[in-house]
Amino acid sequence: MKRIIIGLVLFALPAGVAQWAKRSDWGATQSAPQFRQKGSPKARLTIVEYSDFQCPSCAMIQPTVKTLLDAYPEKIRIVFKHNPLTSIHKNAYSAAIAAECAGIQGKFWLYHDRLFATQSQWATLRNATTMYASFANEIQLDAEIFNTCLSQPMTAEAIKSDVKEAKNRQVQSTPTFFIGETRLVGNYMVTDGARTIEKELRK
Amino acid sequence: MTTVSHPPTAAQQHGSTAARLIIGIVLLYAGFLKATGPVAEFAALIQAYKIIPSDWAMVAAMLLPYLEMGLAMFLLAGFETRRSAMAAAGFFGLFILAIGSTFLRGINLASCGCFGPDTLNPKITILLDAALLAMCLWLARSDRHPLPLSIDHLLSSPSRRRS
Repeated sequence: MKRIIIGLVLFALPAGVAQWAKRSDWGATQSAPQFRQKGSPKARLTIVEYSDFQCPSCAMIQPTVKTLLDAYPEKIRIVFKHNPLTSIHKNAYSAAIAAECAGIQGKFWLYHDRLFATQSQWATLRNATTMYASFANEIQLDAEIFNTCLSQPMTAEAIKSDVKEAKNRQVQSTPTFFIGETRLVGNYMVTDGARTIEKELRK
Repeated sequence: MTTVSHPPTAAQQHGSTAARLIIGIVLLYAGFLKATGPVAEFAALIQAYKIIPSDWAMVAAMLLPYLEMGLAMFLLAGFETRRSAMAAAGFFGLFILAIGSTFLRGINLASCGCFGPDTLNPKITILLDAALLAMCLWLARSDRHPLPLSIDHLLSSPSRRRS
């Protein structure tokens, strides 16, 4: 009997501390620029996506995101947030900057799609700047404005702000989606995305 | 013929205590981080190994951290040390098999999610787990006498303590 009690106490102690230390909410999101939002402005449900342009899984999940947007027109809105995992993806940050600069000229999503579609081409380059410029050219961005934007402190600040928010919300992996307050990571968006959207819309 | 179990030397005792504490601290730290972090993150990592179905991955993500912490506390407190060491060895063995199987099956973990800076490289994880597994097995074999500074020692009979 003594051993059982000791065992239970030893088991319960860290469990209790962990439950006490565990956060019950993941903090607020800052608003994102309009150019990084897609879907109806009147949509009841916002889906926030923390993504990394060099992440293969983030590229693979894009068709799912598109399918969900098509399946729930007027009901959901996607907000893209940058979360380049710079410790494992060395070109992720520069890709995020380039996409943000495309966004300033109103073509964020076009550039976003281009980056994901060509990921394997630029991800391994030592310096992908030339490729970013060629993408900008392909989608007819003003080259001078684009190039100036790349080195603007404001652009870097926008990325850092998203990364800080991701850190506060304990987002460590990409892609991570918040459908309302429900977090789905990686492939769970494929398996549970629609079900979660339905559940949140019913609230 | 009776087998005589010789009491451990001072060096063996210190070694066993150190092993117990190292394994316990590692398990407690790992378990605590996962228990206090978002379950969805850990579930996605488990799912990436493609060993168990998604729903089970979520359940595993909810339970495993608490099992790790419980085991850690048993080891740190020196309670049921041999059994705890064997259980911990089982854990590390399973982790090694799971990670090793991704290499054999050609699974690219990045295709299921990119896991940030707090996630160890799989190859480093295997080495770390192998070292901890070896320590667990050594601890389970060597700890036939309750060690000082342990609950096992407090609960054992005086004659066992003296031997």
